[in-house]
Amino acid sequence: MTARLQAKPLLLGLGVLMLISILVSLTLGPLNLALADTLSALAHLAGLPVDANEQALLVIGQIRLPRTLLGIAVGAVLAITGVATQALFRNPLADPGLIGVSTGAALGAAFAICLGGMAAPLWFQPYLLSICAFAGGLGVTAVVYRLGSRNGQTRVGIMLLAGIAITAMAAALIGLLGYLADDATLRQLTSWNLGSLNGASYARLWPLLLIALGVAAWLPRRAAALNALLLGESEARHLGIEVERLKAELVLCTALGVGAAVAAAGLIGFVGLVVPHLLRLLAGPDHRLLLPASLLGGASLLLLADTLARMLLTPAELPLGIVTALLGAPFFLYLLIRRGI
Amino acid sequence: MSRRQPRSLSYAKALCAGASLWFAAQCVQAADVSQRWVSAGGSVSEWIVELGGQSHLVAVDTTSQHPASLEQLPKIGYQRQLSAEGILALGPDLLVGTEEMGPPPVLEQLRRASVRVEVLSSEASLNALEQNLNQLGAWLGDPEQARQRFAAFSGDLQKLSTRLASNKDEAPKVLLLVGGAGDRPLVAGSDTVGAWLLAQAGAKNLATHTGYKPLSNEMLVGLNPSFIVIADRRANGPAAAQAFIAQNPGLANSRAAKEKHLLPLDATLLVGGLGPRLPAAAEALANTFHPSLASTAAQQP
Repeated sequence: MTARLQAKPLLLGLGVLMLISILVSLTLGPLNLALADTLSALAHLAGLPVDANEQALLVIGQIRLPRTLLGIAVGAVLAITGVATQALFRNPLADPGLIGVSTGAALGAAFAICLGGMAAPLWFQPYLLSICAFAGGLGVTAVVYRLGSRNGQTRVGIMLLAGIAITAMAAALIGLLGYLADDATLRQLTSWNLGSLNGASYARLWPLLLIALGVAAWLPRRAAALNALLLGESEARHLGIEVERLKAELVLCTALGVGAAVAAAGLIGFVGLVVPHLLRLLAGPDHRLLLPASLLGGASLLLLADTLARMLLTPAELPLGIVTALLGAPFFLYLLIRRGI
Repeated sequence: MSRRQPRSLSYAKALCAGASLWFAAQCVQAADVSQRWVSAGGSVSEWIVELGGQSHLVAVDTTSQHPASLEQLPKIGYQRQLSAEGILALGPDLLVGTEEMGPPPVLEQLRRASVRVEVLSSEASLNALEQNLNQLGAWLGDPEQARQRFAAFSGDLQKLSTRLASNKDEAPKVLLLVGGAGDRPLVAGSDTVGAWLLAQAGAKNLATHTGYKPLSNEMLVGLNPSFIVIADRRANGPAAAQAFIAQNPGLANSRAAKEKHLLPLDATLLVGGLGPRLPAAAEALANTFHPSLASTAAQQP
């Protein structure tokens, strides 16, 4: 592919892809619902005066719709923060995990899973895991950011190395917790590390949706500044960009977005790395196009992967992280080989 | 759900035909043969089959591996990672499992979809078992059979403990390991079915922790058990014990290994509370732990 795709057809195509993914995610599942039932249930939920099959209403309203919304939010946030991290490190192979947010969240989750049962009051238990994961992600990122900053300057090289070191430490702590855990807890920990949208409910959805909307609204406003950053930090500074502030914003957006996504759905690999990279191959590095395209692409990939995760082993279900990596990695390799990068 | 899959309509359901799905699920009688059950947890499924309820079962979880007839049923995955829609697609009236079943949001979704979700106890105690069996008996419409089955279960154990009490042998020091050659084996501590089984068989469990946890080989050697019971999910029989020692040479010098006291145990016995095969397993173990007991057993008619 030598010619880059134009902005409008690309965004239009991705938009259509996302609509199709949403429809697929809502209509396909282990439970066979007729398309007409699905649509009338959706219309009914939207408040239109349409009669709907009671079972369809329940499945769509209580199971598939929250799950689809969660999938959109998680996929979009992971992909768009992937773009932000890649811009921050000026490296197309950077991943949001580099600043420690994923491992930090995993550490928080491991604490909640292994030790939470004893300490937390009963009414708090359902939220404990998500809150610990979110706090862990933010906390570890804050440490990494502080280590990379000196005299009001953030050096991304130092931040990268600090991220690697802190990640290794957090991974060791997770290992320790896993070692102390009993059989059943260990199993829960493993499955959380593979991510899933299973059991999505509106109560868990809205914090992530708010953050996702915030991040998705904010980052594209900084697209021009991100483009300038591509040239190099001092070049961007000469172009009048407040580089330090921009870097802090990127770290904050990534920590909030990925932290919330991981808290809601567990660790889901590869979306944040592959989707932006893929679209960069297709459309070039202009962030004005790359950010919205990644948002649409990430949401679509996650929804399609989740539909597969639900369908492949019915009535059981595959962890989502397995499917995204199994789908994403070969496609990525194919592109790498074909483009000879 | 019944709308989607036409089945032999019961009277109870016919009466409810006009009512909502919720109402339909509530008024289905326990004895209704068209009831569709999904079971999660090895022992729960085993008891359902034992009490004659296999015809109700439309799917089980991956820990339900015994009896072999359950293998043909669709698997709903691991009991802690159930999928709401996958289970709904089976059109069940009842999902029964233990408190190990989850995750909680999925159970909540199923309840909202008017699937009756019943949670039995997985505690390794006779009280818990009696309650579980009473419940299952009531749902299956044969409480009397469930009562008899419990009486037989506790009677067998009572007989065994009487024989053990009359036996003057000292209780041997035993460890029960879950996992096979090449794993870090998990040692059964208190509050586990494994520890309960050892106690019933007249052994002293050397493990002092709670639940199943890994112990280092050095600890195992230091504890120097006279018997090691090995519940391996992959290998069964003497081969499992041999392979285990081959992988853990440190244990080759323990008393248990020297005296060839490595006892294989079916790992499916230990999942999801007390199962119907445990009295027989306890008796077999007791006969091995107390050789003099075996000879008295042989004299009995």
